Amino acid sequence: MEAGEFVCLLGPNGCGKTTLLRIIGGLEPATRGAVSLDGEPIVAGRAQQHKVGVVFQEDRLLPWLTLRDNVTLVLKPLGLSHGDRLAVASRYLGLCGLRGFEDYYPGRVSGGMRQRAAIARALSIEPDVLLMDEPFGALDAQNRRIMQTEVRRIWQATGRTILFVTHSIEEAVAIGTTLVMLSARPARIRELIRNDGRVERAKLVDDLNTMIMEEVERQQGGAPPG
Amino acid sequence: MIGQRWAARLHLPTLAVAAAVLAVWTLASWRYGAYILPSPLSVLWGFGQILASGEIWVHTGASLYRILVGFGGALAAAILLGLAAFLWRAARAVVRDLLAVLNSTSVFVWIVIAIIWFGISNWAPIFTTFMITLPVVASNVMEGVENVDRRLLEMGDAYRLGGAEKFRAIVVPSTLPYLTAGMKVGFGLALKVSVVAEIFGVTSGIGYIMNYSREILATQMVFVWALVMILVMMATDKLVFDAISRRTERWR
Repeated sequence: MEAGEFVCLLGPNGCGKTTLLRIIGGLEPATRGAVSLDGEPIVAGRAQQHKVGVVFQEDRLLPWLTLRDNVTLVLKPLGLSHGDRLAVASRYLGLCGLRGFEDYYPGRVSGGMRQRAAIARALSIEPDVLLMDEPFGALDAQNRRIMQTEVRRIWQATGRTILFVTHSIEEAVAIGTTLVMLSARPARIRELIRNDGRVERAKLVDDLNTMIMEEVERQQGGAPPG
Repeated sequence: MIGQRWAARLHLPTLAVAAAVLAVWTLASWRYGAYILPSPLSVLWGFGQILASGEIWVHTGASLYRILVGFGGALAAAILLGLAAFLWRAARAVVRDLLAVLNSTSVFVWIVIAIIWFGISNWAPIFTTFMITLPVVASNVMEGVENVDRRLLEMGDAYRLGGAEKFRAIVVPSTLPYLTAGMKVGFGLALKVSVVAEIFGVTSGIGYIMNYSREILATQMVFVWALVMILVMMATDKLVFDAISRRTERWR
């Protein structure tokens, strides 16, 4: 994975997409093998030199803090001054389209706005890698479309490296620059596709759909029906 | 519509029932005499008397002092137990079992033991109040600690928040509603229990003066002090606990 890429991780349910993300995020130890960022290994529970921002399936905002305070909270371990924290929070909340809502509590804004705030929080630490684990899974179809465009825009504006887990092939094709298809357990990389517009999108979606069906069948242990 | 809203605000139906009760009470007091059932007017008169003489503040103050020390101690102990339960898994089971035992112990056990240990002193009702309110408040704190959202703590880990920061920003706010609920119930219990304990060990306080009034056959004063207790309870509920809830639950 290279700096500045927008990688989408696809694969059958239960193949370990989320677990891989959690290992990279330092939330779970790897049973075997090692993950490294620029040569520095990531070990669960140990302080890292590299910063990793995480956006979970749910927003995981603290309901008793305003959107602004939710962002400034995660800036504290970085050792910024109070004034700097406020400035950074305002900048990233604005970037995520939440200008004017900084002092709202999460319970007072919509689900889409909460997820935007969670993204602003992840971006605010200026992470080397931004991990997103099906961040729009809880949103309705309309909000999903809007947020996909937004994330793509934010990615272009900030130039961050993003690793995005999703189970929606359409979503991956719509926003990722690199698509990684994992195989059924034990998961290996089955296919790595550059989504640079040289292959037609509709064909890409079809191909990926075929692949994922094969993997799902393999995972269930049965021969392909027919 | 507007008439109905005013009726609800003034508790008009309640007032109507209260008027009926007062009427029956007055009739019954004529029938049975002032020793068995003093009339509402004599109770009101007695209330005016203790208000004028300042006696009301002496005994209410003495009772509130004991409640604040006993209940305050229970609150501090409950928070420490909750903290221990949060930090060590083993402590959680011990605290749970301890609270189950304390919850099953009668008020009277603590009153008798308190008299044996502390004799006639402030410490008898304070100790009783402490032992009775501790399990109530601590059970609530424990519930709060156990209900801290693990996913939020994990978010804290992902963003490398320190232990103290996670405790301050995540654990404390999510336990607070449970703590205030426990305090509310605990304080009501403290008032009821400490008054009972005051019958035995001391020479001041609402419980003492009620029992004393009974001994000198001043039944109307028993009713007056009961009224004082009710007023204290309602006032703390409205003034103290409602204010605390409003402050801690601003974000809801």
